[in-house]
Amino acid sequence: MLGRILLVGRLAVRDLRRRRIEAALLLLAIMAATTTLTLALVLRDAASDPYQSTRAATHGPDVVAGVYQPAKLSGLEELAGAAGVIDHSGPYPVAPAKLQASGRTSDVQVVGRDAAPASVDQPELIQGSWVRDGGVVVEAAFANALHVRVGDPVTLDSRSFEVVGVAVTAAMPPYPGASCIVAIGCVNGAITDEVPPGLLHNPGLVWLTQADVRSLTTDSLSYVMNLKLADPAEAQAFVANHGEHGGATPMQPWENILEDATELARDSQILLLIGAWLLGLLAVAGLSVLVGGRMADQTRRVGLLKAVGGTPSLVAAVLLAEYVLVAIVAAAAGLAVGSLAAPLLAESSAGLIGSAGTPSMTMSTVGLVTAVALGVAVVATVVPAVRAARSSTVNALADSPRPPRRIGWLIAISARLPVPLLLALRVAARRPRRVVLGVVSIAITVSGIFVVLVLNAFLTTQPLAGGYADAQVEVLRQVLLVWIVILLSLAAVNAIVITWATVLDNRHSSALARALGATPRDVSTALAAAQVLPALVGAVVGVFPGGFALFAAINAITGGDSDRATLPSLWQLLAVVLATVLVVAALTAVPARLGGRRPVTETL
Amino acid sequence: MQQEVVLAMLAKEPSHGYQLRARLRDALGPLGDAMNAGQVYVTLARLEKAGLLAVEKSADDADRSDRKVYALTPDGQQRVAEWIAEVGWPRPDLAEFHLKLIAAAWAGLADPLTIVDTQRRELLRRLRDAQRAAMAEPKRSDAALLLEGIVLRLQADLRWLEACEKNWTHRRSGS
Amino acid sequence: MSNAADMPVLRARGLRKEYGKGEGLVRAVDGVDLDIGAGETVAVMGPSGCGKSTLLHLLGGLDRPSGGEVSLNGHRIDDIGEKALARLRRTAVGFVFQSFHLMEELTAVENVELSALLAGRSPRAARRRAEDLLEQVGLADRARFLPSALSGGQRQRVAVARALSNEPLVVFADEPTGNLDSAATMDVLQLFEGLHESGQTLVVVTHDARIAATADRMISMRDGALIDETRLTGGTTGQLGALIGLED
Repeated sequence: MLGRILLVGRLAVRDLRRRRIEAALLLLAIMAATTTLTLALVLRDAASDPYQSTRAATHGPDVVAGVYQPAKLSGLEELAGAAGVIDHSGPYPVAPAKLQASGRTSDVQVVGRDAAPASVDQPELIQGSWVRDGGVVVEAAFANALHVRVGDPVTLDSRSFEVVGVAVTAAMPPYPGASCIVAIGCVNGAITDEVPPGLLHNPGLVWLTQADVRSLTTDSLSYVMNLKLADPAEAQAFVANHGEHGGATPMQPWENILEDATELARDSQILLLIGAWLLGLLAVAGLSVLVGGRMADQTRRVGLLKAVGGTPSLVAAVLLAEYVLVAIVAAAAGLAVGSLAAPLLAESSAGLIGSAGTPSMTMSTVGLVTAVALGVAVVATVVPAVRAARSSTVNALADSPRPPRRIGWLIAISARLPVPLLLALRVAARRPRRVVLGVVSIAITVSGIFVVLVLNAFLTTQPLAGGYADAQVEVLRQVLLVWIVILLSLAAVNAIVITWATVLDNRHSSALARALGATPRDVSTALAAAQVLPALVGAVVGVFPGGFALFAAINAITGGDSDRATLPSLWQLLAVVLATVLVVAALTAVPARLGGRRPVTETL
Repeated sequence: MQQEVVLAMLAKEPSHGYQLRARLRDALGPLGDAMNAGQVYVTLARLEKAGLLAVEKSADDADRSDRKVYALTPDGQQRVAEWIAEVGWPRPDLAEFHLKLIAAAWAGLADPLTIVDTQRRELLRRLRDAQRAAMAEPKRSDAALLLEGIVLRLQADLRWLEACEKNWTHRRSGS
Repeated sequence: MSNAADMPVLRARGLRKEYGKGEGLVRAVDGVDLDIGAGETVAVMGPSGCGKSTLLHLLGGLDRPSGGEVSLNGHRIDDIGEKALARLRRTAVGFVFQSFHLMEELTAVENVELSALLAGRSPRAARRRAEDLLEQVGLADRARFLPSALSGGQRQRVAVARALSNEPLVVFADEPTGNLDSAATMDVLQLFEGLHESGQTLVVVTHDARIAATADRMISMRDGALIDETRLTGGTTGQLGALIGLED
């Protein structure tokens, strides 16, 4: 039994080593798919979970109430005693201030807290300790954005403090989405005009001791109070009852905070999920070419194994071992890369527990990604294995690599074209399925680029209309960037895989064409053109209807309003198509040239 | 000309001598050209003398040999049956050539390789003749089949000469 | 043969081809001098690995020599560029290979017309020429068949037709009967005989004594060098009877 396993392992490894490049490309393609899947899954978790866990860990308030004048403090006292309220903390004084840290200045809302822990909304420390006189605790997302850490000196309205802690809270959405709790008011979002003097712009949140807050200012203090209700689900109703009534006491139920806190993450996640889908499709296209090519080749190998006495089960085991090996490595690499890349995209929710730093990698994510990779391996094994079990050994041995297709009309048309195009059309006609995969792969990529162009234009021209702040635009841009980088890399890998497969597949007919008098340049041009022509078709299809359809789909999912978006201009689209064709030509040139230059006699 | 062949050609029905010749020519094709008319009649005369054939005089002028009709006697018929059952096969006499090479080398009479070479040229010439003749024959004719046999045998002989050459080259360089 | 001396179609001097380096150096072709006259049929014979296929590739411009000269019709072809070499291959020479090398997805007539199309002939002219050639090799009724539907001999005849497509100066054949049975070999031999009679210069590398025997000249090759040349003078000996021992 052990001997058998060793044998299977040895045969599998040997076959992989025999075709290193192919194995590497296969690994790369599966890895791209697993990486994207990991990213999407991790961010899905990041978008929903952290607020809940932060709320639980910090005894988050069900309602946050505030007053802008000390005179109205009685209103808060009343609320604390209202029916349904089972606990509260505060009122705490809040002051507006300018914070200076490592050369950057930012508006902040400073909340004065007790050194003793509160029963409602006790911010959870990620680093350092809680407030003390002269020590400031900074909200995590804000700290992240300002690049301040425990021990750093900062000034608040020119008074020096030391950062003693970094914490998260569920009483306010993380920076830069903070709700306004100061009397003078705040402006969130990108600045289009001058900020009215006195208003805070994108304020961050810091905590001091109450004494320190009072020492900063005396006149413009406001107060907040955190309320715990008997039934958290009643928060909206509670606010409606008491807020409308008194009018002077602005209140926020926790659902609103949740909404604001996760809005950005959700937008990113939608983008990433759509990106994951696109990338998944691309990966499938690349994999089909690779696996298809391998499977054809495997048929003969299967025949050989059977001829020397391998049973169908041994043959299947060898094939399976080979793919499983590649799949496991690819899954591991994909998980690693995905989890390393995810924090770059999830920074926005750094103000919440569980997402400060690394978004959590759950077992279900690991399981799903591995399962997908293994699924590919199994599918790639099943077909040749079944064929192996069915086909006679003799037939399998005699089986030539997949016989080329014949598309009569295309061959007839090509006879009328110049030599390189004649050869190119015939190269393409030999493998129609591969051409379709090439077209699809490019179309998907170009659709993605189309959507990125639209979103980018939208973010540039109308950030306020989208309700995004600078920092949020930055995050969304980052998401788009990651998206497009992975998309383009995978498309490039696909283009190379397809060209490479084509070059290998046409080695013989290329040599033959040269023996019959085609020049090396004719042959290389033909091999490249056989990729570039489908790329042109793919690029055009990718713009219309691909890009429009994808954008419409995104709008449908996000409930966005496509009227506000500016579609790319005609010249932009032409540039995209042209650039796609040029890039594909460049990517395919090298393998095609290598394919066209091989000595004729070596191949024949 | 083998006597049994002539006998067998008469086994179906009595024939004139010229009919017999024509039949042989058909079967042999261009190879039959070498066979002169007299040969057949000499053989027929011998067979008649041996009692294997009987001559049925034809009605008109009886004495001209090409007007005679030949028929098998019972002895002749038995002889044909025996011949058909025989498994004898012409032996290629390779030993003679083989010994020629050895003798030539041993006594220093000639270079064995030169002998092989000359012999090969001769065999190639024969092969060429046979090949040309075969190509001139209509496909699937009796003569074409015979010629193919000859061509294949010559090819086999040439292959043996190749082996001889290799062997003697080796001996020369080895010693 | 008479004009072979004054103006050979194909001429090689000191032709060499080496592979590898140092210890592993292999001299596949080692100093070959050769003249082939117009209309001559030359057979190159020798054991496998003697370099005869390499010699054929060098003479036909499929491969480049390591040293020496090759001239076709008075023009050097050993030192010309890839492009000129390609032009040479589509105008001046035709190749027939042991394993036919037909394109699987093209019909017989499409295979034959391919080299004419590569040479830049009009599709119509190429097709007409291809049909004529297929008729000439006796496959007019198989013109629309794919190679997989043809027998080995038929495929090789298609390949011969393709080699003739651009009226080459020289047709090179590399073991053209190596994959054929006796009867199919006969078909190809007959085809070559016809070419010979029409004045086509033909260089055949072969194991097959039958092809060699029908050539004007037979060249033996060993270890990359020509070692022997036999002229099988024309006309039959007229002694076919000797072949079956009829005359004793």
